[in-house]
Amino acid sequence: MPFINFATKEINCKIVYYGPGLSGKTTNIKWIYDHIRPENKGEMITLATETERTLFFDFVPIEVSNVKGFKVRFHLYTTPGQIIYRASRKLILKGVDGIVFVADSQEDRHDANLDTLDDMIENLKDYDINIEEIPLVFQYNKRDLPNVLPVEVLRRDLNRWNRPDFEAVAHKGIGVLETFKEISRQVLKKLKS
Amino acid sequence: MLNLKPEEDKALREILNNLAQESRSKMVLLIDKSGQLISRSESPAFSSDDVTFASLTAGNVAASEALSKLLGDKDLNHMFTETEEEGIYMILIDGKFILVSIFDKRVSNLGIVRVKIKKFYSKLVDTLRSIEERIKKESAVSADINPEDIDLDTLFE
Repeated sequence: MPFINFATKEINCKIVYYGPGLSGKTTNIKWIYDHIRPENKGEMITLATETERTLFFDFVPIEVSNVKGFKVRFHLYTTPGQIIYRASRKLILKGVDGIVFVADSQEDRHDANLDTLDDMIENLKDYDINIEEIPLVFQYNKRDLPNVLPVEVLRRDLNRWNRPDFEAVAHKGIGVLETFKEISRQVLKKLKS
Repeated sequence: MLNLKPEEDKALREILNNLAQESRSKMVLLIDKSGQLISRSESPAFSSDDVTFASLTAGNVAASEALSKLLGDKDLNHMFTETEEEGIYMILIDGKFILVSIFDKRVSNLGIVRVKIKKFYSKLVDTLRSIEERIKKESAVSADINPEDIDLDTLFE
């Protein structure tokens, strides 16, 4: 749920990067964090294990000033992808305004993509969020690897709602910005409706 | 959609400022359970990033609440975290918001903070409920923002 303060002229929106373990959710927001101007970002928080697997969530606040006198703040969160962290994933979805589903394009990770999408749909239901209505973008990551599925297959199996989707190589920044721009656009558009 | 009008923002700030002053807290924050910072006391002594603080607090409370449910308890009401020099006291308001007091342990203590929160609690609940009532009555809020007005490219180096 976006939060608007008409006194301080601030709009706050929550965007969650969801997807199976090791699909590149943290890589996406880390790339954004590393390339954004210092004056437009807050502190990046990573709650990870010693082996850099996300334990609870990563968080990056991004500020856009002077949009018709308003300051728009996007709060980017990632979920922990590993199956065992189902309970934590659900907590992070609370109050979500937009979702980026980061899929792993590799053939042997496709079952994980499907399981995680089912898990996301279930969690959204529990919060009474209709997947048909919430801003949603799909990203097919790791397109530089040799054993990837064709985009058409990923699209058919995952993007059942015909939402905007992007191919990406997140560690090189390919497709990262496009994905972020699209989800931001959808979230702001929803704000007006 | 949660939103605050200037007079509501002022009313909340006033409560939080008075609470911070009377409880001798460094800072008092009001956060919603999804991690959005709703309001805060005016606290020049607090230098940390309040937006980040809010998101971590919500995560912390959400995890503790889930733990408490796993143990069979109905709800989590409040929690306390201590660092070497500071105390962080968090209490749930109406099951939807989190009120946080950060205090220097040499200046205040948990007892004073809890007593003072008790004093301001019903005023804070009433204010929040009246804001929610007003939002319910309104059909839609327009922040008059066009996605096209935001040039996200300028954000990046």
